[in-house]
Amino acid sequence: MKKAFIIGIDGVPHSLLSTYIENGIMPNLKKILSQGLALHQINASIPDISSVSWTSFNTGVNPGEHGIYGFTDLKPDSYSLYFPNSKDIDAPTFWEILGKTDQKTSTLVQKYHKKISHPYRSTIFNVPHTYPALPMNGILVSGFVAIDLKKAIFPESAYTYLNSINYLIDVEAEKAKEDKMVFMKSLFECFEIRKKAISHFFKEESWDLFFACITETDRLHHFFFDASNDKENPYHEFFIRFYMELDKFIKILYERFVQRYSGKGFFMVLSDHGFAPVKKEVYINRFLEEKGFLFLKNEGNFYERVENKTKAFSLDPCRIYIHGKDIYPRGTVRKEEKTALLEEMKKILRGLKGENGDEVIDKIFEKEEIYHGPHTRMAPDLVCLPKDGYDLKGSLEKKEIFGYNIFKGMHTWHDAFCIIPENISFSQKPSIDNLTEYMIQYYSQ
Amino acid sequence: MDHLTRLENKSIYIIREAYYQFKNIAMLWSVGKDSTTLLWLCRKAFFGHLPFPIIHIDTSYKFLEMYQFRDERAKEWNLNLLIAKNEEKLKGGMGPGQGSKLDCCNELKTNALKSVIKKYHLKAILLGIRRDEHGIRAKERYFSPRDSQFKWDYENQPAELWDQYQSMVEEEEHFRIHPILHFTEFDIWNYVKREELPIVPLYFSKNGKRFRSIGCVPCCSPIDSNAQTIDEIVEEIRISKTSERSGRAQDKENIYTMQKLRALGYM
Repeated sequence: MKKAFIIGIDGVPHSLLSTYIENGIMPNLKKILSQGLALHQINASIPDISSVSWTSFNTGVNPGEHGIYGFTDLKPDSYSLYFPNSKDIDAPTFWEILGKTDQKTSTLVQKYHKKISHPYRSTIFNVPHTYPALPMNGILVSGFVAIDLKKAIFPESAYTYLNSINYLIDVEAEKAKEDKMVFMKSLFECFEIRKKAISHFFKEESWDLFFACITETDRLHHFFFDASNDKENPYHEFFIRFYMELDKFIKILYERFVQRYSGKGFFMVLSDHGFAPVKKEVYINRFLEEKGFLFLKNEGNFYERVENKTKAFSLDPCRIYIHGKDIYPRGTVRKEEKTALLEEMKKILRGLKGENGDEVIDKIFEKEEIYHGPHTRMAPDLVCLPKDGYDLKGSLEKKEIFGYNIFKGMHTWHDAFCIIPENISFSQKPSIDNLTEYMIQYYSQ
Repeated sequence: MDHLTRLENKSIYIIREAYYQFKNIAMLWSVGKDSTTLLWLCRKAFFGHLPFPIIHIDTSYKFLEMYQFRDERAKEWNLNLLIAKNEEKLKGGMGPGQGSKLDCCNELKTNALKSVIKKYHLKAILLGIRRDEHGIRAKERYFSPRDSQFKWDYENQPAELWDQYQSMVEEEEHFRIHPILHFTEFDIWNYVKREELPIVPLYFSKNGKRFRSIGCVPCCSPIDSNAQTIDEIVEEIRISKTSERSGRAQDKENIYTMQKLRALGYM
């Protein structure tokens, strides 16, 4: 009998978690780590956006295979923006692989398909980018961005319970603008409902694998990350209290799991990206405009505004696409010009400096360096990762390169974490999509 | 037979077929150009004497001009007009400013319609939707069954070949009938012109802006246009390429998704 329990905690950095474990804010996690589990720093997906990172974990493959590069994507023929959802994922998730309901293929499936002896049943709870809920072997409740609760639940019968507890898919982040204190309280309320629902499905349903995500941490960080280590900050106490409650909840779940399966199961906790305080937002499209790569007309929505002479534009957070003649109706960049253009852009991006002359861009990748698989063709031509503190954005409306917003935290690529059985060791720092295989291996032994 | 007459004949055939099959039907009138065209066709189908009621779902957030137009036409055309409102939710303060736009639309439109269907035991509703409005509409049928939960099972629909329509209904189901499904936006304006149909003045340009599509005030925005007459609108549509609904927050899920992403700085 194989049982696995996975807790996803959105946006929790390895560095912050280590600090909180050391200085006694998370004593239960410290104790758990002395019972055969180990904490590692891992890399998020590129870009380090929840929908991409969780999809990479869920499928165990890179975006070049699963096809998700962000919360938004572009239809090249019309320049219109769309929101990819669960139906756009082109690789099977681990619950589809283990449940033997996978209809797609991927490198991971090819490797393990024959080694999974019988179908395993999963409960997948509040995992981002699983909306709309697709039929699977078990129960699935979609997480961010889920719109209509009925479409976020499979099977339909699970709706009655969730509706009865006034289940919330997400906090209303819009409210943070109006009243931060009210928003802070709603984070705790939302976490309560989440805990209640997770406990219910844990107890009342049968499953071989349980995967639940807590997304409140990501929201907490976006609006209050400056409170994480600053005792003077008015929200510091709340921030710490949230982590203490999180610590308690992980303990409860861990103990129940160990008790039920007498310590024989596979237990794992992980985050999809890290967080760092924001110094400034950086509007890459404005930068491209000023450097003469991007020209926008006034008519049209979003990227419909891209004009003929445009050589490149960027989608959130910093996915840069060459305006190629072969792909876009108004594109003018010819294939043979691409290499030189990419080199020129890399040079200019490296030269982007902050107020004190410090570098803004940390790493620049060409798509072939980081993506492989059938979807590489539609991948951004360049992806940049910033130095911590500079939050790269794809807005088309800005008149300055640098700016401020209400956000206090930004995602980081290099500082996600995982807690996994200590007998698993890595020869190099793992990426989030590397972890999935260990779990599948457990079921194939 | 010219193009518009062919379209008209097909619509009238469907309207009459619907009435013959279901008897207990009603037409949904949003007061916009499409459903006003449908209303005109219904009147033609029954020589000016409509044998069924006209329902207007009133969210109370419509444009003043729309209410005025509705009441004038109702009187002039002697309509049996039923006005449906979700009074309970409106009293509770439901509106676009409160909560999500999705909830607002769901309560004030969908649930108001649900209760009116129940109240009058309606077996079928005539609607003025068109196939070219939106991608999802491409899958619509002229006769489209819905279950008691209002669900549209678009993967399991009767085929409609050679004008053979499945118009039999199960208990607890109702049919949505779309007599002008085959009209395009361009056809509608040409038809409005030919028939000299009265139309809500919001469609005509005022200060360089006009509405291409109308609904509730908070969810509509005008487009840049100088078209002040039907002829000018026809010409504008002929050369225009952007979607008619681009000025409308009608793609509810997308709008809501956008809101959610914006609130977290992802757009």
